[in-house]
Amino acid sequence: MLESLALNAGRPESSSAETLKDLCQRLLELNQNDDGGWPYQTGLQSAVEPTSWAVIVLKNYPEHSEAAGRGVAALKSAQLADGSWPARAGHRAGCWPTSLATLAIFLHEGSSEPVRGGLAWLCDAWPAEGSVWWRVRNWLRPTSSVTRQDSSLRGWSWTPGAASWVEPTAYCLLLLNAIPGNLHPSQAARRKRLGEAMLYDRMCPGGGWNSGNPQVYGIAGERRVGPTAWALLALREYASRPENRQSLDWLEGAWPHISGPLSLSLAHLCLESYGRPQTGFEARLAAFYETNDFLENILAAAISLIALREEEERPFACHRHRTAV
Amino acid sequence: MSYAISQIMPSFQRPPSRVAIRRAQAYSADLASLIQETVCELGLEVRHKSVLLKPNFVEPDPAGIVNTNPAVVGAAREAFLRLGASGVLVGEGPGHERDTEGIVETIRLRDHIGKLAGKFVDLNLDDVELVPLRTRASKLRELYFPRTVVTADVVVSMPKLKTHHWVGATLSLKNMFGIVPGSCYGWPKNTLHWAGISQSVLDINSTVRPDFAIVDGIVGMEGNGPVQGEAKHCGVLVMGSDPVAVDATCVRIMGLAPERIDYLAKAAAVLGHIDERQVPQIAENINSVRTPFQVLPSFEKLRASQPGI
Repeated sequence: MLESLALNAGRPESSSAETLKDLCQRLLELNQNDDGGWPYQTGLQSAVEPTSWAVIVLKNYPEHSEAAGRGVAALKSAQLADGSWPARAGHRAGCWPTSLATLAIFLHEGSSEPVRGGLAWLCDAWPAEGSVWWRVRNWLRPTSSVTRQDSSLRGWSWTPGAASWVEPTAYCLLLLNAIPGNLHPSQAARRKRLGEAMLYDRMCPGGGWNSGNPQVYGIAGERRVGPTAWALLALREYASRPENRQSLDWLEGAWPHISGPLSLSLAHLCLESYGRPQTGFEARLAAFYETNDFLENILAAAISLIALREEEERPFACHRHRTAV
Repeated sequence: MSYAISQIMPSFQRPPSRVAIRRAQAYSADLASLIQETVCELGLEVRHKSVLLKPNFVEPDPAGIVNTNPAVVGAAREAFLRLGASGVLVGEGPGHERDTEGIVETIRLRDHIGKLAGKFVDLNLDDVELVPLRTRASKLRELYFPRTVVTADVVVSMPKLKTHHWVGATLSLKNMFGIVPGSCYGWPKNTLHWAGISQSVLDINSTVRPDFAIVDGIVGMEGNGPVQGEAKHCGVLVMGSDPVAVDATCVRIMGLAPERIDYLAKAAAVLGHIDERQVPQIAENINSVRTPFQVLPSFEKLRASQPGI
């Protein structure tokens, strides 16, 4: 593992941030596999999600352009014939990392065949709820007394044949927000509208999101930092909606209690993008690193590196709202 | 290794499964000695073997009522090391929360097992192997499983004693949902829900059957489990080499009937015993520790109609 951060309490935050950036960069450098991809954790095989995030974060580092290029090539080689990406190269079925791989390649080379293929697959990939089979089943065994959600509002699922959930829907919306409308497939506008409506429908009472169960047996679901941050990032163009404000309020309240680097970095990215930055991000992130080395989690390192950068340098920020809400 | 075809057999061919019910009133008790003693008594051989402990870590839970208590996990680790295991890893793949480090830090796992590096594996992110399923209860034919699970010599399921708002109770069999990697199936692992929870529980456990189960019933959860229920002090650890028998025993302690829990009834056909006559108890007996749990109204039908059922 990398050397200790050796941060001390009196050190200025800007210095901590630079040290952390260096460490996250080196973590990415050291963990690129021979196939050009990145693993979820040190020593493992490459996977599409960490490779996508590594490629996205290295976009603005010219000194890493060769590594990023090899990452893009690895992503392209993992794409399936139907345009989708599986979780790992060689797996047979495409699933949720398709949105992230498509975004990564788009940010590096703009519209290209792999990007068009990924977009087309995503726009054709409907979740299982709302299908004829689902409607028959739900008519026979209604679950409306158990959960509260409008299943006609369909986003994206983690895997084909399953239901819509908050995070994969948010990833797809971030992708659609990042790619100019003239490059969207014909179904994209409808999918975007439905996906956004689905996210609002799945918001927990009082604001905030969990993976997608806002209420079960009449009891409000526990809200979670990660899904809340992703949903808010995906819905950033509606910053003034009361649901966004409520959710931001909840996220601000949760901020002091966040206990992992991935959640902390996501919350920081989200709150800062809404003009509501919190204090202590770098120091807390450094403390997480000193305690567990991020559990050698490449995804946490990549997201942290994005969060440590100045907002203007963040590669996937698509619609920034300068006005605090 | 837990990956052996001989574990699937009709109940009538299977020898009785002993289950140990040990009293432990608090997490401050000497749980490591209790577990070590019980593992020896039940004849589980771990010397020179790699052991994977699979607790139930669901979400950040400062109140300590949702997750397997880390004191039990630390004690089990200590017990298996004392018994000569070549290594003991703790592995979990939470189903709804991607920030696994956030969970294990909130519950202070490292206070009980030391620095996490080299001891804790996030099963959601591990390398995977595609494994054909040994039963066909669900429409699933194969699943990716984490390499750490597939290569472990001994897999120990370590759930918390909880009710569950979809299947009635969640114990050592249902706990094995956590080995299915989120990196392949998402958070939650919704593929399993669509394939049928009971059916998936059977298919997963027929393929990667835990070699041993240790249920944290010191403080369980009743009502709207597995996350939003209430703490219920029960004061027991329940252990055994037949996870079906362990779960059936736990269900009886909770005042429910294992035959009425769909996945347990299915598992009883080929994976283990739920018939009380085939589950001799050592240490305490069920009646001496029975602690009826509250369940959601829709699960009142699971209640045992009379003691002992």
